[in-house]
Amino acid sequence: MNNPRAHNTTASHYRHISLVLAGFALLAFFLADIDITTRSPGTELGRILAGLIRPDFFATDHLLQATLFTLSFAVQGVALGAAVGFVLACFWHYRSVRMASATVRAIHELFWGLIFLQLTGLSTLTGVLAIAIPYSGIFAKVFGEFLEESNSKPAQALARNSGPLSTFFFAKLPLVWAQFKVYGAYRLECGIRSSAILGFIGLPTLGFHLETAFRQGDYSAGAALLYIFFLLIISMRGWLHARLIPIYLLAALLYAPPLSSNTGASLWRFLSHDIMPAPLRSGYSGDLTFSRWALDLVSQQAVPGLVNTLVLGSAALLMTGLIAIMILPLLSRHFSGKLVRSGANIFVIMMRTTPEFLLAFIFLLALGPSMLPGIFALALHTGAIIGHLTSRIADQLPIPSNSARGLNRLSFEVLPRVYGNFLALLLYRWEIIMRETAILGLIGIPTIGFYIDSAFAEFRLDRAFFLIAVSVILNLSVDGLSRTLRNRLRLHA
Amino acid sequence: MYKHLAVSLLALVLVACGQPEKPTFTFTAIPDQDEARLIERFGNVADYLSKELGVEVKYIPVKSYAAAVTAFRNNEVQLAWFGGLTGVQARLQVPDSSAIAQGYEDQFFVSYFIAHNSTGLSENNEFPQDIAGKSFTFGSKGSTSGRLMPEFFIRESLGDAPDNAFSRVGFSGDHSATIALVQSGAYEVGAVNYKVWEDELAQGKIDTSKVSVIWKTPEYLDYHWVIRGDTDSHWGKGFSDKVQATLLGINDPEILAAFPRSSFVAANNDDYQAILETAQSIGLLDQ
Amino acid sequence: MFTFEHHTLRKQGVVILDDISLHIAAGERVALLGASGAGKSTLLQLMREQHPDEIAWCPQDGAMVPPLSVFHNIYMGSLDRHNALYNLRNLIYPKAKERRAIRTIANALGIGEKLFTSIDRLSGGQAQRTALGRALYAQKETLLADEPVSSLDELQGGNLLRHTLSTHTTAVIALHDQFLALSCFDRVIGLRNGKILIDQPAASLNHDDLLPLYGQASPT
Repeated sequence: MNNPRAHNTTASHYRHISLVLAGFALLAFFLADIDITTRSPGTELGRILAGLIRPDFFATDHLLQATLFTLSFAVQGVALGAAVGFVLACFWHYRSVRMASATVRAIHELFWGLIFLQLTGLSTLTGVLAIAIPYSGIFAKVFGEFLEESNSKPAQALARNSGPLSTFFFAKLPLVWAQFKVYGAYRLECGIRSSAILGFIGLPTLGFHLETAFRQGDYSAGAALLYIFFLLIISMRGWLHARLIPIYLLAALLYAPPLSSNTGASLWRFLSHDIMPAPLRSGYSGDLTFSRWALDLVSQQAVPGLVNTLVLGSAALLMTGLIAIMILPLLSRHFSGKLVRSGANIFVIMMRTTPEFLLAFIFLLALGPSMLPGIFALALHTGAIIGHLTSRIADQLPIPSNSARGLNRLSFEVLPRVYGNFLALLLYRWEIIMRETAILGLIGIPTIGFYIDSAFAEFRLDRAFFLIAVSVILNLSVDGLSRTLRNRLRLHA
Repeated sequence: MYKHLAVSLLALVLVACGQPEKPTFTFTAIPDQDEARLIERFGNVADYLSKELGVEVKYIPVKSYAAAVTAFRNNEVQLAWFGGLTGVQARLQVPDSSAIAQGYEDQFFVSYFIAHNSTGLSENNEFPQDIAGKSFTFGSKGSTSGRLMPEFFIRESLGDAPDNAFSRVGFSGDHSATIALVQSGAYEVGAVNYKVWEDELAQGKIDTSKVSVIWKTPEYLDYHWVIRGDTDSHWGKGFSDKVQATLLGINDPEILAAFPRSSFVAANNDDYQAILETAQSIGLLDQ
Repeated sequence: MFTFEHHTLRKQGVVILDDISLHIAAGERVALLGASGAGKSTLLQLMREQHPDEIAWCPQDGAMVPPLSVFHNIYMGSLDRHNALYNLRNLIYPKAKERRAIRTIANALGIGEKLFTSIDRLSGGQAQRTALGRALYAQKETLLADEPVSSLDELQGGNLLRHTLSTHTTAVIALHDQFLALSCFDRVIGLRNGKILIDQPAASLNHDDLLPLYGQASPT
């Protein structure tokens, strides 16, 4: 070879794509508003710390009720999402099904919640649907891919006229059933988180009181709620058994029947009036034309919101990667002893369980209003997840104990082997980071979520609908880009 | 393996046969302060109204100003304790509803502009022109005292939209949070409901070496009760008049402390024309 | 029943079957011999496609559904005889009638006591017996099977093969065991590199005649 720098190795491909991504993210950092402006955060942070040390489990009224609602919404929402996702997965070969599921999962649970608040009010049905709809899209994708990748030989071995239903239930479904169950359990954990977070917009779950406590500065009460929430998630392994699921579902349905008193009239009003752009509504008396309306919305809200979302999401992606690589040695048996590993594990569980909203709020108090709290919150949350998953892969690697140690072992033995998985996870999470930036809009970081929330607050559902559509397009594009990159690099998580 | 699936499906089908419950006269209140005790505070009010009106009365807590209006619009609540702006928004969405009572203090409500002491700003009778270029937080996006009126005075005095007049603009979500954020210096200046400020000051929650009031806005009308127009058709003729009379007649200090107001006085829709026009002028409501 | 006239098949430019001409009548029992890659599986596949609905099919490596029990895997042979609802019912809670019928088959195959054990907990030999069971329970006149007894020893394999042949009027079975091919079948077809090298009554062949199929010269 004439040019010694022209490498043709897998590592050089990874390096190349990493550099491009990092460069892109650095540019985002450069564009992002990351000033530290706070002046005296000590008092407030001290009070948060004091609250975390001395949680008050009796400060919140109806704590048990909130906990049960959180679980009820989660169990029902995930069950319905799994059932619908399962049916969709059976038709995964249709492009329209794939597009529909991508669209519904591109909209954050919170926005589904805000939409259903208009239709079904503050009811259990709102909570259940807000979880079930995006989750059905996620389940459809995951189940669909499981089915696609399953062994097709048993089905081919059957008599040709065995019928599609029989063939599916005998020779397809059993092959992936175990995977379904494992994934369903993981989704239920996510569902409990989603259900709690729906409290932020007013449903009677733990998030309702959690957000209130933190926003009101009642940190002892907040800490107690947070600990209950941790306990629910961590104890799941103890109480989540397949045979008990029907009982849980039944209990959830009885405790909080998914009903709503008003749907018919509000659904019609919602479709025919609310989400119709104001200038197109019948009886509109203003002087705005539709094109003016759309142009204003795009230039004043959609574009700034999109730019901020992209900037924040990309900057968070870089920081996520850095945090994951920093956590990796602490979590992996190749580097750390038992004590360090358990400590790091507790940290990881806390980070992935704590709603990003809370992390962002604490950083907001500490660092002042800018994108920095949002970037830190998203990066800590996602970095903890990716660090955890990567360390599990790393721990399966046989590495001779007499090989290099410390940084050398990390950079020569471990990272090169897990980097493909790491990149795949990071790219896979990119779409999710973008989705989660939505939630930061609720505390005032001007992502597209901020403008959507504002539109709901001003009862301009037409604008909210338009902006949600814009955010769907953004998320679908990021998903597409991430998939293209993963395919090109032939990466699998 | 499939048995679990079959049982789950059966459970789902069973529930589809449930019955919606009979409607109860229900009210809500915008969550402006002391949210952790909402149910306790307004639960007492519900019991009181129930006793006086002779029908079952329920309070449902909501998380945001917008949620209160949505619940009113969807007839999930028939009566609501709204702010000036939310009341106007609610009446635009439910055209035949009407304002029936306001707090005594709400006839001359004000907002406080508060600033972190490192800004060097001090209390003044004139609008503090020096806040231009600083970071600024409002309360909830739909708040009258934390958003609408402050923004109106800012536009009037600084001649610019907040986004342009300040280095950074935030919405804390509620008044207590506004105080916490300005006190920590996360934002340099903020606008807050004067009742909430006075309350928290009295409770010793505010460190005046860090944050203090720099300006009081002129007076305006704020919180009031709004009732849906179709209430009488469900609970009998004259029911809304009875509700109004009951509200105006409240003199139990414990019930009044929930709001907190010293008493309620009569109000009607026309009183809030100025709020409507203000909201229109800053683009919060369409013309 | 099966007919090929100068049939050639290419996949991605590689010749799999080369100018095959063949006729198999109903009632014949044919052993298909040849080294791996000779084209046996492909030929069986083509035969299946000539009469898709009349064939009991036992593919290579069984193609079982590992998480399901022996009962269900055998039951799968009968999916086309019942409507979907009846099939689902037997998936969730098997009818006594089906249990009895399938237990009889399983007993004959020597896996009766494993009836409700899932395939992924069985040995390779037991899984292979189950695959044969599924073909038997298809209850067709004609059997096409691809190395159905490869995981069993010659004695057990022979017994199983004879049992299977006795329940079908026509059978074409790919084998690698030459002894079984010569002892249990009427006719032997030998393939090499996609061509038919041998097509004679089993009785007229001996072990040495088969050597060319595996690239060895027949001793003269």
